[in-house]
Amino acid sequence: MKILVINCGSSSVKYQLIDTDNEIALAKGLVARIGMSASVLTHKPHDRDEIKVSGEILDHIVAVEYVISILLSENHGVIKDRSEIQAIGHRVVHGGEKFTSSVLITQPLMSEIRSLIELAPLHNPHNIRGINACMKTLPGVPQVAVFDTAFHYQMPPYAYVYGIPYVMYKRYGIRRYGFHGTSHQYVSERAASMMNKPMKDLRIITCHLGNGASIAAVDHGVSVDTSMGFTPLEGLLMGTRSGDLDPAIILHIMAREELSLHEANTLLNKHSGLAGISGISSDMREITESADDGNANAKLALDIYCYRLKKYIASYAAVMGGLDTLVFTAGVGENSPLVRNMSCEKLQFIGVDIDDAKNEQVKGVESDISTADAKVRTLVIPTNEELMIARDTKRIVDEQAKA
Amino acid sequence: MTTSKIVIVGAGLMGQGLAEAIATAGTEVTLIDRTTKLAEQGIKGISESIDREIERWGLTQSDKRAILARINSSSDLSQAADAEIVIEAIPEDLERKRSLFAKLDSICDPETVFITNTATLSISEIGASTERPEKIIGMHFLNPVTRIPIVEIVKGLRTQDTTFEKAVQIADVLDKKWITVNEYPGYVTTRIIVPLLNEAMHVLMEGVATAEDIDEAMKLGFGFNVGPLTLADMMGLDVVMSWMENLIRELSEHKYNPCPLLRKMVRAGHLGVKTGQGFFFYDKEGNKINGHANTQTDKPGAVK
Repeated sequence: MKILVINCGSSSVKYQLIDTDNEIALAKGLVARIGMSASVLTHKPHDRDEIKVSGEILDHIVAVEYVISILLSENHGVIKDRSEIQAIGHRVVHGGEKFTSSVLITQPLMSEIRSLIELAPLHNPHNIRGINACMKTLPGVPQVAVFDTAFHYQMPPYAYVYGIPYVMYKRYGIRRYGFHGTSHQYVSERAASMMNKPMKDLRIITCHLGNGASIAAVDHGVSVDTSMGFTPLEGLLMGTRSGDLDPAIILHIMAREELSLHEANTLLNKHSGLAGISGISSDMREITESADDGNANAKLALDIYCYRLKKYIASYAAVMGGLDTLVFTAGVGENSPLVRNMSCEKLQFIGVDIDDAKNEQVKGVESDISTADAKVRTLVIPTNEELMIARDTKRIVDEQAKA
Repeated sequence: MTTSKIVIVGAGLMGQGLAEAIATAGTEVTLIDRTTKLAEQGIKGISESIDREIERWGLTQSDKRAILARINSSSDLSQAADAEIVIEAIPEDLERKRSLFAKLDSICDPETVFITNTATLSISEIGASTERPEKIIGMHFLNPVTRIPIVEIVKGLRTQDTTFEKAVQIADVLDKKWITVNEYPGYVTTRIIVPLLNEAMHVLMEGVATAEDIDEAMKLGFGFNVGPLTLADMMGLDVVMSWMENLIRELSEHKYNPCPLLRKMVRAGHLGVKTGQGFFFYDKEGNKINGHANTQTDKPGAVK
């Protein structure tokens, strides 16, 4: 089955056309700068060179039309007829408490997704725009929503309720939801298969370290805790986000600098993290280089990043009463031996022991980097959220066909 | 280069604020003024305003690049020809506005909607300078445009509903709350704030209390963000006086008569933040120099 996977941002549409029979991406690409006069479409068919097309793409509907026409084009296309696209899978950031797994999109369902905008004002509106655009452009093709929060839905209440008046949870849905679920699920499934064991026999910790970063405790196949919370701001130190901090700090800063809500929000989400501490960059490669060159603040940012990661790994091992597998994924997790090394240092007491020589060599490929006799297998697994979305989409469309 | 659908004429403070707010919201905009130099100064002003916002943590350097990339500048009014919406942001002068709209009327597509940016002038009178009075509407933004979340949408006598909807679209793009105003001198905000400012000046002139104490009492007593005398300094004392004179002209009510102290300060060129001296003193960045109220103004004898 050929499935178009769509991930809509405020001014971008990322896409992949995935053939689920062979699990390969026939083409992938990105439409950027939507709404501006010089929008750009970058398109890469799996067997040919990448191309760039610019034009005026005023909204997401036009963007999706561009995507369809390049998929059909004689020179750069990968399909002959639009009917070859048998289903569309959408990444939707927030599923709230209503959506605990992927769903076939129907009109009544759209209003429920819309009602979640309040919980994810920065993400869900764009995701909805993408769904509407596909409904207009490819009417009749089944569409499936895959939620970033769904994998974490079985967390126990003691992991998701915050220490504030309980009525806030009841009134506004303020609780831990967790994000990056599709990625945590994909890499834990891959880890189980690499270890030749079913997920239900394993205690796995997955570290998704991209520009946003989160960690999850996957206990016998169930995500029982994760570091991102009500929003993607909580938990690990990230490229530009603060991660955990004393909540009174922000009240104090708002009063001292007379900041508005918007300014305080931007301070925490865009001016903090690696970028805020180092004053150099939000990119781990640049932080590592500067730290190497003796920049003290870059070194400090790197130290904080790894220190917090280590604390989370050990506490999640405690939550599960031990650990069988530790997984690193996403940009930093897949490509930074230094971060893996620093965050695993001294974790031998829970069985984590990585082989320095192996670790040094691994960048962006599936590998086991633990020492031969380590109790815990430490794995590097490139994530593939699009494939996960395509698999879920196929499963739901197949179920629907049977019903 | 394609012409943006939204065009702003007038690259002064108001035009800059609008262009910045629209571009920050993710929409392209063209900023036009009479000369290339004025238009470029507008862009420079926007760039500096964004820098201040970055210092206040509200934006990032990459936001700045994206915002500036959405703003085109020009000295050529014909750039407005195929605009969907033209927003006028030139000084508050009826004749200048009327002559600008007469020009735009001959240049622009017949469907183009004109938005005039005014705090007190008659939309109907401005509209009468064109062949399309039904396509003209007023929007009264308050300074600084990027920070004040309310806008008055002012309907002239002949303004069409479809024109009103375009103004609402602009308010939505800017993420501002709006209220509907049926044209009447001073609308809602100007008409109510002006007598308050004027009364504060009378209280000061009559030696009842110092400028600092008047502002402090009104701030803490009634929950204003800034006191009335500081607010007048921020608006510009000449601007406040011109609003009052316009209200007097239209409504002939003595309550709009400018306080003698206001007249005197305007004649002396003490116009508030923009000249560094009003009821208080200000540095080059417009920050109040604390503890330095302009004491010459708060002695009763000062105006005799």
